[in-house]
Amino acid sequence: MPRWGMVIDLTRCVGCYACTMACKVENGTPPGIWYAPVYEKELGHYPTVKRLFIPALCNHCHDAPCVKACPSGALRKREDGIVVVDQDRCCGSRACMAACPYGALHFYAKEEGEYGPERTAFEQAFYKPYKVGTVQKCTFCAHRIDRGVLTPACVETCPTGCRVFGDLSDPDSEVSHLIRRRNGVQARPEAGTCPSVFYLR
Amino acid sequence: METGNSFTKRFVMERKPQTIWRAPHALWFFAMGVGGALYLNRALLGIEMGRLWGLSLADLLSLALISVGGLILISDLGQPLRFWRALANPRYSWISVGAICDFVFLFLDVLVILPDLEIGGGRPLAGLPWAGGAFLGTAMEVVAGVAALIVIVYPGLVLSYSPSIPFWNTALIPLQFLAYAFASALGLALIYGATGLAPPASSQTWLLLLGGILALCLLLFVAHLLGAAYTRATARESARLLVSGHLAAPFLGGGLVLGLAVPLLAVLFARPWAGGPPDTVLVLLAGALTLPGNLLSKYGVIRAGIYPPFL
Repeated sequence: MPRWGMVIDLTRCVGCYACTMACKVENGTPPGIWYAPVYEKELGHYPTVKRLFIPALCNHCHDAPCVKACPSGALRKREDGIVVVDQDRCCGSRACMAACPYGALHFYAKEEGEYGPERTAFEQAFYKPYKVGTVQKCTFCAHRIDRGVLTPACVETCPTGCRVFGDLSDPDSEVSHLIRRRNGVQARPEAGTCPSVFYLR
Repeated sequence: METGNSFTKRFVMERKPQTIWRAPHALWFFAMGVGGALYLNRALLGIEMGRLWGLSLADLLSLALISVGGLILISDLGQPLRFWRALANPRYSWISVGAICDFVFLFLDVLVILPDLEIGGGRPLAGLPWAGGAFLGTAMEVVAGVAALIVIVYPGLVLSYSPSIPFWNTALIPLQFLAYAFASALGLALIYGATGLAPPASSQTWLLLLGGILALCLLLFVAHLLGAAYTRATARESARLLVSGHLAAPFLGGGLVLGLAVPLLAVLFARPWAGGPPDTVLVLLAGALTLPGNLLSKYGVIRAGIYPPFL
């Protein structure tokens, strides 16, 4: 059984937000919910300042704190390491959101449109039927993986190839090579969550 | 409740305040803590607060507070009608463990007090099998006591088991919740005692006990703040917010000074060890201030939660 993971090369990201938008299109997420944000970070001091773009998503942690915090058991880890939420079981306690160090879980508070309380005809057709009062999250595009398409939408769209997706349990996979060769680091390792997303600097 | 989360409000890698736990949660934690401590004070230390229809007032208050805490928890859920699902993950989730203990406590405590119910001068339920010191009754009281203890500490454990927020990630938080809960429950008993309904000797003992718990609680908070100040930058920022930032008024002013230091001084001035009946005003002051202090300290600790930038 594979353990899916991702490597993100920070030196390649140009901050185009194509991954952010591709994710929204693929998952039909409502306004205010971003599974794949790209954060900006300012490095250095004037006049030698550099802007770093940090693409993010759910880290699908090996020891996922959200799964442990969830009182309803709606969050679970699949055998392939992907953390998914069952919106039919979620009671909306948001304990998972408080426990996640990466801001990867999103609460869907009320049904509204991008431009006001009423949704446009396009929005009505576009947004997926997410349940109000539940928590939503990135699934590494598990619906695509289950169909045999082994690239999440964000990876497929990235024009610079900064996101690489693959099997962490396979030592010969591209992600494993990149992590070994370029010393991939996990976000907030001190939290002890063992993320499946690695960053290259 | 808003859609999204605090991370994606601004796509900037910086410290983010937690916005999930808020004032209603502080009230939930407070009600659960004081409710559980009232029951344990009555069951373990014999701190009674009179009777209503033959039923222990301490138990009735305990039931009411834990029910209120449970209702706040349920009303805060995104799907309140699915509240029963919150019982489904006791193996890992402290909220689940706590919710189960809430129900166990409410169920058992109602059963335990029922035989004492007086209607029209008689006790129609005195013949229940667990009444009158029966083994079953004692066993039910013990289980209810364990449930009450968990009800007091589980909100603190929910926070301290959170690896995301460095300021919360300490075992001192459940201890603070435990100590402050007992202080507030004793405070309620002292208010009752100051009305003259309890013998003066009881008030002296309760006041001494309160003084000890308040001193312990103060030490726990100081240790937490000092620990935060010398660890990660984000925990230091949380401590700064509580001591000199926008949370200083509720936390430092309300939680520590008004809720702990002033009652501690009142206990010292009341001199409960001297033998005579303590001054009623000082007793009332010491008892009453622990209640808002407890609530405000929880509010401060909750709102001071900050996520550090993750990269």
